[in-house]
Parts: sequence; C-alpha cells; structure tokens
Amino acid sequence: MLSRVADSLYWMGRYMERTDGILRMLKINYASSQDDLHEFSWKPVLRTFTYLEEEQANTIAYNSRAVLQYMVADKENPNSVVNIVTHARENARSVQDHITKELWQCLNDYYHRVRDEQLIQLLNREDPITVLDVLIKQGLLYYGTTEITMARGGGYAFINIGKFLERSVQSADILDVKFRDVNYDFTRTDTTYWKYLLLSISGYELYLKTYRSGFDARNVVEQIVLNEDFPRSIIYSINQLHRYFERLKSERNVDAYRTIDFLIGRIKSKVKYSTVETIMKQGLHPYLIGVKEDLYEAGNAFNQYYFAYL
Amino acid sequence: MQTSELINSYHVDTNTWDEMYANAAVREQYKGVVEFMQGLSIDELNRKEEMARSLFMSQGITFTVYSSGEGIEKIFPFDIIPRIITSAEWNYIEKGIKQRLKALNLFLKDVYNDQFILKDEVVPINIIYSCPHYLREMHGFPVPYDIYVHIAGIDLIRNNDGSFYILEDNLRTPSGVSYMLENREITKRIFPDLLPRNNVRTVTEYPNILHKNLVSLSPRQISNPTIVLLTPGIYNSAYFEHTTLARLMGVELVEGRDLVVSGHRVYMKTTAGLQQVDVIYRRVDDEFLDPLVFNPGSMLGVAGIMNAYRKGNVAIVNAVGNGVADDKAIYSYVPVMIKYYLNEEPILKNVPTYQLSNPDERDFVFANMNRMVIKKTNESGGYGMLMGHVAGDEEIFRYKTEMLKDPRQYIAQPIISLSSAPCYMNGRLQPRRVDLRPYALCSPDGVQIVPGGLTRVALREGSLVVNSSQGGGSKDTWVLAV
Repeated sequence: MLSRVADSLYWMGRYMERTDGILRMLKINYASSQDDLHEFSWKPVLRTFTYLEEEQANTIAYNSRAVLQYMVADKENPNSVVNIVTHARENARSVQDHITKELWQCLNDYYHRVRDEQLIQLLNREDPITVLDVLIKQGLLYYGTTEITMARGGGYAFINIGKFLERSVQSADILDVKFRDVNYDFTRTDTTYWKYLLLSISGYELYLKTYRSGFDARNVVEQIVLNEDFPRSIIYSINQLHRYFERLKSERNVDAYRTIDFLIGRIKSKVKYSTVETIMKQGLHPYLIGVKEDLYEAGNAFNQYYFAYL
Repeated sequence: MQTSELINSYHVDTNTWDEMYANAAVREQYKGVVEFMQGLSIDELNRKEEMARSLFMSQGITFTVYSSGEGIEKIFPFDIIPRIITSAEWNYIEKGIKQRLKALNLFLKDVYNDQFILKDEVVPINIIYSCPHYLREMHGFPVPYDIYVHIAGIDLIRNNDGSFYILEDNLRTPSGVSYMLENREITKRIFPDLLPRNNVRTVTEYPNILHKNLVSLSPRQISNPTIVLLTPGIYNSAYFEHTTLARLMGVELVEGRDLVVSGHRVYMKTTAGLQQVDVIYRRVDDEFLDPLVFNPGSMLGVAGIMNAYRKGNVAIVNAVGNGVADDKAIYSYVPVMIKYYLNEEPILKNVPTYQLSNPDERDFVFANMNRMVIKKTNESGGYGMLMGHVAGDEEIFRYKTEMLKDPRQYIAQPIISLSSAPCYMNGRLQPRRVDLRPYALCSPDGVQIVPGGLTRVALREGSLVVNSSQGGGSKDTWVLAV
C-alpha cells in the first residue's frame, strides 16, 4: 500500500473516532446541564476538546447553546465537528480507490449532513439532543459500513490503528480533565458527577453491573483505565491497537515493525500491570500524562516508518 | 400540465437537426422514451430530476469550487432525458473513428521518426515545427507497439442535414468517460426497466477493456504488473474521474509525490518499501510530467520519468507528445493523412478549416467574419473562441488584429449549427444543442469503442458552446442494439 494512502486511512480513522467522542461528550454534558442544581460549567469539555484560552473559554463556559454551536458548527474552531468531518472526508476522498464505495458515500453524506444549515439551526433553537443523535447515528453508519464492507487488509488495519490510538488518548484525556476539575479528590462521592462521566463514554451500565456498592472514584479509574472488557477503556484500546498493528507484520520492512512493536508492547505492559493502587501511588495525573506521551511516541514512529513519503 | 402537452409544446428551431423530432413526428428511436414519459406526471418527472441531483451529490460526483476560503461542492449539470443513437448511426461512427485513429497513430509514429509525410510535402513542415506540443524529446524513440494514442475522446457534431462531422480529436488526456459511466448508473435508478426495454447497449465494459490494454503494455513480462493512474491530486477538477477509473480497474491511484525514479526505473513508495511500476496511465499533462525535461517548476510530475520511459522501463499512456496530432491547425490535414497512410477516403468528414497563415484563406475569413468561429489552436475547453455571428464589431476587430500578429495561433471554421436534443428544464421540454464524444481504446489488437459516450449539452438557449467550463451539461447516451 502507498505510504500516502496508509497515512490518509489512519487519519480518517482518527478523525472519525474523535468526532464520535466529541458528539457523545456533548450529548451527555448537555443532558447533565439540564440536571444540575447550579449553573453547569462546560470548562472541562472546552479544556479537553478545544484550543481556547482560559479567558475565551470563560466567556461561553456557562452557555450551553454557545458551546454546542462552537463545538459542532463553528468553522473557526479547528476541532469542531464540521471541521473534523471535513478532514476525515478529505482524507477519504484522496483514497477513494482504497475504501469501498459504500464507505465513501457514507462519509460524503455525513459531510453534507453536518454542513446542512437547517440542522445546525435546530441546534440553536430546539432540542439539541435530536441534532446530536442525528450526527451520532451517521457516525454509527460509518462504523458499521467500515466493519461490513472493508476488506481485511492493510487498509483496514491502518483505519483501526488510527481509531484505537485516538480512542486511548481520548479516554485518558476525559478521565484526566474530569478529575482535574475536582482537584483529583478521590473521596468525592457525588453520584451525578461520576454517573455523567461514565455515561459520556457509554460505561454507566457496565459500572453498575461491576460495582454493586455505589460510586467510588477508585472504581471509576479502574474501569476506564484497566477493564479489558470495556471498549472505551485505555487497556482495551491499546490491546486493539496492538492487535491491528500485528497484522502489518511482513517480510519487508522488518525494522519498522520491530521498532513500533516494541513501543506499543511497552505501553501495553505498563498499563496492563498497573493497579488502582499503583496508579494512585504515582498520582493519576502523572500516570495519564505518561501513558499519553508513550502513545504519542508510537504515533510519531508510525509517521516515520510507515507514512513518510515526502 | 399534462405530459402529452410536454411533447406537443416541444418546438424545434428551424434549420436544425433535432435528435428526437422530424417532420412533426417523434423519430422511431425515441418512441420508447416518449411513451414512457407520457405515462408520468410532471411531479414525477420533477422528482426524478431531484433524485438524479441528490444521487450525484451523495456519491460525491462533484467538483469543488473554491471561493472565500471555503470549498463549495458543485455537480456537473445532468439532463434526465437520454440522447439516443441508432445502431446504423453507431456503426458508421465506429467505422469512421477507427479509420481516423489508425491514421493518427501512423502520423505520430511518422512525425517522430522518419517524417515521410513532411518529406513528401503532404503536411507542411513549418506547421509541425511551430506547434508547441511537438516534443523533440520524443524523437527516434520507439513507443511500445507503435501506439501513441491509447485513449481518444473524439468530438462529433451534426449539422442541419444530420450528417456527422469531426470537431476535434482529443488525443492527450481526454476526460469525461466517468460521466459516460455514472450517467448510465443514474438512468438505471431514475428510469427503472427503461434500458432493457429499449435494447440499449451496455457501457460497463470500458474499465475492463482499458485495464486489459494497460496490462498488455507492461515492459516486464510478468503475470501481475503494477499499473498506476497518475493524478494531479484532489484539487484537480477531474479528480472524481481519476478515483472512479482507479477503483473500477482496481489499480493504484498515485500522485507525483508517491513516485520516485531510481536507476531509470519508476517506483512507488509503499508501507513496505519501494515497488516497481510498469504502466502509468497519466492524467497529468506533458508539460508537468517531468520537471527535469519540461516545466522545471512542476510539482505534479516525477523527476526522471522521461528517461525511464525512453529506456523502455515503464509504459506511459497516452504517449508523450500527442498534442502535435490534435492541434487545431494540424486537424485540417487529417483527411489527407488518411489518404496518405491508408489510401482510403475519410469516412467521417472534417469541418472545413481555414488556415490564417494562408493569405487567400485569411482574406476569405476576414470578409465573412460573421459566419465564422475563430479558435486558438492551442486552447481547449471553449476558451479563446470567437463566435462570429454574435460577436460585436469591437471584439471582431480585436481578434483580427491579434490574428494578423500571429496567424499560426488561430484557425477559422464556418459556424456549424449543431443538432438539438430535448432537455427537461423548468417543467418543459426544450431543444438544446448537443455534441457527442465517444471513447476509443487502442491496443495491439486494434481499436475498440464502447457503444456510448458523453453527450454534452449547451444548456443556455441558442448557445452553440457545450464545454462544461462554459455552462454545459451532459446526458446519458444510448446506443441501440437494433
């Protein structure tokens, strides 16, 4: 496969995963904002997903509609859904001969959908959840179409490498920002707070089934970092990343494979052989920063060994 | 309004050949379609038109217009009513194009090698040497199987007695074939069952034939040569076509930056290292193909590719330097080429063409400017054209001055009126002028033409210019089996 094509597929995967993450976050935080005694602050969301300066963030942090507008439809926001979907589609457009026609059409439809001004108007005037749901469903269509129509070759592997790398970074980010917002206070037992954190990454039901004794910050960390069955946990994402990476093994390019295999293997064992206790001993924030740094190092190695074509 | 009224209110311009209507009656080949349309209401027709539009949009069959820093997706206008060609008409066109391509390939071989046709003074030497597309780099280099033109998109028009004329030979990188394929797919969706009921010949073989031809050109005799389609990239207006063809043939779509030349061989950069390329179907113009040989500023090409080509390590399709054979000034010599090389009478006629470097012809043109179309010899896409019957005095004067300065740059042709075909516009059937571009593929085994083509339509009332850059659209083109 052409290096340029691998690069584009990887980024298509990353951007679509990011889109999905952002939309789910928005949906749950909006729901949470309707369930709050006090004025709901969007600061953690803005901190995770935008490049806004503290000052700028403060001006909209208590205005749900303004945040939704900025995060979904603002073309000035480089990380808005409309811009990310456009990037994903541009990547797909340049590799149309490597994805199925169905997948291309699905992304192209998504692109036209998210630019539909009538839809965006609803975001400002009516129930925003309806609009977010429309977009999330379009994303599910993308996942399903990828799963059902794409051949299981190198291209599929690169899409998934991008997807799970993005997801592991995102889960680390969400966890870190939410804890930072309460000053890494592990004694906090505010049920709603943890409930909405879990809901935003579709982990609420699993939590209830796993932990019968109510909400405990330590359990929340355990599920989001260490639960191998939770599809948004860091360990699950890294396992999947490794799984798809292993499919790239070939006689050619042995050095590249070995280098990256080492990097991913190292993160994997670091996370796998952690416990909530060791994480807390090290401190959640330094731990997550460490995981993210390792992930970025692996990402850069992909650039160097698989995508370099300039 | 009823649909029967739709047909009754169709008024053909006088002195024009209409594809559907003759002597106040519908031609035989259109009866099936007309009957079908009469069974539909205006609402249904409008819905079909809307459906066609949204299918184009959703499939990304669009080109992007960049304005105010933001890309806007546009579709190439499509008219839902097919243009129909009878099998007798098609047989005649097919024979004519095959003959013409045979002669043009011989001409290219000759003009880049022994130059018999110049030595015998059948074609004047100065018209060849003054052509900017005549490339000395191609001299004395035997291209594989002596084929220069692998893919041709020859434009045909019909004048008021219905006879076909060749308007242009596009022998470099003719585009539009994806619209031939996609327009047909749209017709299948908007007019269910109509195609088989009318015995329309299929066009889907095109990518298979092209792929087979490309494989046969591989310099390495291996079972699975690497074929690539070289595109200028996603900002090119024909990018959709490049992806479609690459997908339908199952070949790699590459950009210049994906390729590298080493040891006079071309390689593509893959995730598993370099992989040798055998055949390049390029959609990049000669000028940008190799910065070491042609335009040094080109970012679209590959440095060293011409050397690899001349060494015979890679095949390039179409051959480099074909522009000398579809230059508008050389066009007028094609009928004599056919006689010279094949000793045959040309089957398809040329539009009479006046050379402005010839004083007698120039005087005649100047005296009859309002009946002439003036074209720049090296422009295409409807640019650099003067339609004498609508041009103002000032514009005519400006062209005359320019033409006197450099007569080789211009040719003149009498205005041919172009046939009209019915278009569904604003709830009415209206006649609009059309041309026809069939796509011919040459291989060592001969010339094959897929029964169909691109019908371009001048959407503006009374306009004779069908180019998409000048507000043209397209139609599905049917060739009937019986």
